[in-house]
Amino acid sequence: MIDSIQRRDKLSPNLLEVSNLSVNFETIDRTVEVLKDVSVTVGKEEVVGVVGESGSGKSTLAQVIVGVLDIPPARIMGGRILLEGKEILPHPENKVNFRGKGINMIFQEPLTSLNPVYSVHDQMEEAVNIGHPKLEKKEKEAIIRKSLAEVMIRDVEGVLNVYPHQLSGGMRQRVSIAMVLVQKPNLLILDEPTTGLDLIVQRKIISLIMNLKKEVLSSILLITHDLAVAANMCDRIYVMYAGRVVESGKMRDVLHDPKHPYTTMLKNSEPEGYANGAPLKVSSGAPPDLRHLPPGCAFNPRCPMAMDICRSKVPELKKLADNREVACWLYE
Amino acid sequence: MNEPILEVENLTVQFKAKTKMFRSTGDREKWKRVLNAISFSLRQGETFGIVGETGSGKTTLARTLVGIYKPKDCKVTLYGKRVDFRKKEGILLLRKTIGIVFQDPVGSLNPRVTVYDIISEGIPVWEKLKEEQKAEKVREAARLVDLPESKLESYPTELSGGEKQRVSLARTIIGGKKILVLDEPTSSLDVSIQAQILNLLIRLKKELSISYIFITHDLNVIKYMCDRVAVLYYGQILEQGNTEEIFEHPRHPYSSDLVAANISFSSTTKFSEVQESGEPTKEGCVYKNSCSKRFASCDNEPPVIDYGKGTVKCWLYSNMRDDRGNKMER
Repeated sequence: MIDSIQRRDKLSPNLLEVSNLSVNFETIDRTVEVLKDVSVTVGKEEVVGVVGESGSGKSTLAQVIVGVLDIPPARIMGGRILLEGKEILPHPENKVNFRGKGINMIFQEPLTSLNPVYSVHDQMEEAVNIGHPKLEKKEKEAIIRKSLAEVMIRDVEGVLNVYPHQLSGGMRQRVSIAMVLVQKPNLLILDEPTTGLDLIVQRKIISLIMNLKKEVLSSILLITHDLAVAANMCDRIYVMYAGRVVESGKMRDVLHDPKHPYTTMLKNSEPEGYANGAPLKVSSGAPPDLRHLPPGCAFNPRCPMAMDICRSKVPELKKLADNREVACWLYE
Repeated sequence: MNEPILEVENLTVQFKAKTKMFRSTGDREKWKRVLNAISFSLRQGETFGIVGETGSGKTTLARTLVGIYKPKDCKVTLYGKRVDFRKKEGILLLRKTIGIVFQDPVGSLNPRVTVYDIISEGIPVWEKLKEEQKAEKVREAARLVDLPESKLESYPTELSGGEKQRVSLARTIIGGKKILVLDEPTSSLDVSIQAQILNLLIRLKKELSISYIFITHDLNVIKYMCDRVAVLYYGQILEQGNTEEIFEHPRHPYSSDLVAANISFSSTTKFSEVQESGEPTKEGCVYKNSCSKRFASCDNEPPVIDYGKGTVKCWLYSNMRDDRGNKMER
């Protein structure tokens, strides 16, 4: 068994391979299963989306991969994470060695991920020191300016001398992208990169990332709740619900022909076109409370097609044609 | 269509920039003009959308309409009656007729009282109801917004985001308000919950024959919900009119930039080169620094041009003819 896994690692074309990852959050009085048996792969030069509503575990997944999850209260119950065939879970003693060049992450709120007491220049310098530790100071300065220009900041010198709070939301997000760019990561994780930004700015940031992806970046793992953003950026998509992957496949296939009733509901929830007073087709209920999950499939109380078996047994992910997977009793 | 029930003309709101610190961040004026000569009308049974980005003055507009902020200058007519913002009666008239649902359901619900108390607070004091009548009304309002009766004894912290927004709605409709100002009512919600709230709003509008002023930054929601829409930018309405007209044939360069930037999950986006956008400005057209069609006239205040299905504030159309070949006039 172990042999076969190791052999597969060598052959694997995947940059990132998360297999059967389970994470619990443990507090004094209860244990909450945040991720259950999650397997996600990101191939080279691929943009992979993880879509889900609040409480689906998508951000926890990102945090485990980059190793910024607080352990405890979190506890990793099982599973492996391979980055270019190398095991990065449990995180090795010198944790940071895969961060920066290996994996890098852009967070939702750049104001909290940028340090408020250092100027943009000083923070950029820090990033360059990690990415290119052996360069001369002059070369480092050149890299800083080049990467700021790459993210379409016009007034580079002006931006370098200010502090994060003096920049607008879109500019802050560009600075954090520039900081990531100087390290040229193989895998970039984007955690809700455009949530809270204005429409035109959002479009610019997405265009920027996609354009840079062609030139600089290798692969992207996009964590988002916004199906529209995912639909426009991703090659493949994983849909998560209550800590489990319920459906995966090529973006186009999943969107045009969703298999899991939850994916169908997500798709129907997006307002599209002119309604003229017609209601959206959506079932009642809310994303589940992970502390009190229903027995069986977590989606069964909201599912229009729930059967008896859905209320007693959790469906396993089942392989379908076209590299698709779905966890639903309808397809057993 | 129906007669307008609310008419707003030349609404101007400005805030005093009191401290030196605030003034040093921007221009050094003593007054910050947040809304500049806004005019629109709302008809009976209509959903009027207001779309704009951060800092466009959406929330200020919502708050002014329920009398939280006092405008510097305006002519607001409500059911044919002129509203005097300086007099108590004027504010009372506004608050009797117009209700508001805030964006942040956490901040707008008192965490120390039960849902029952929050909803019953919306019953006007002058109705002088007995306890049983009150309870009956609260249950009725809860039923209307699909809030289970068991939740009436809970506290706001025990509710989910969607339920909180239902409570906010119940509190507003219980007072018999005829116009609801919805300030980003679904922005903090998950998509499936957002869909439920949108459905609820569509149903309430029919059942209670109320009208909405729907404020949001989400173009897909506006497109889905609104009959007419106004595009707000830096305190000015740059274009307003029929929703379909604005989405299919945006006339103002800003509206077309917005519509072009919008992504929905059925759209296939081409990721073009990123253009740097400029700051809004005070002289001439507010959008001129970001506008791709800028020309000499833009340094002067643009005229508001009526093109039949709406109005647009742009120099491009000052001497142009519309689709049917009619001369457009100021």
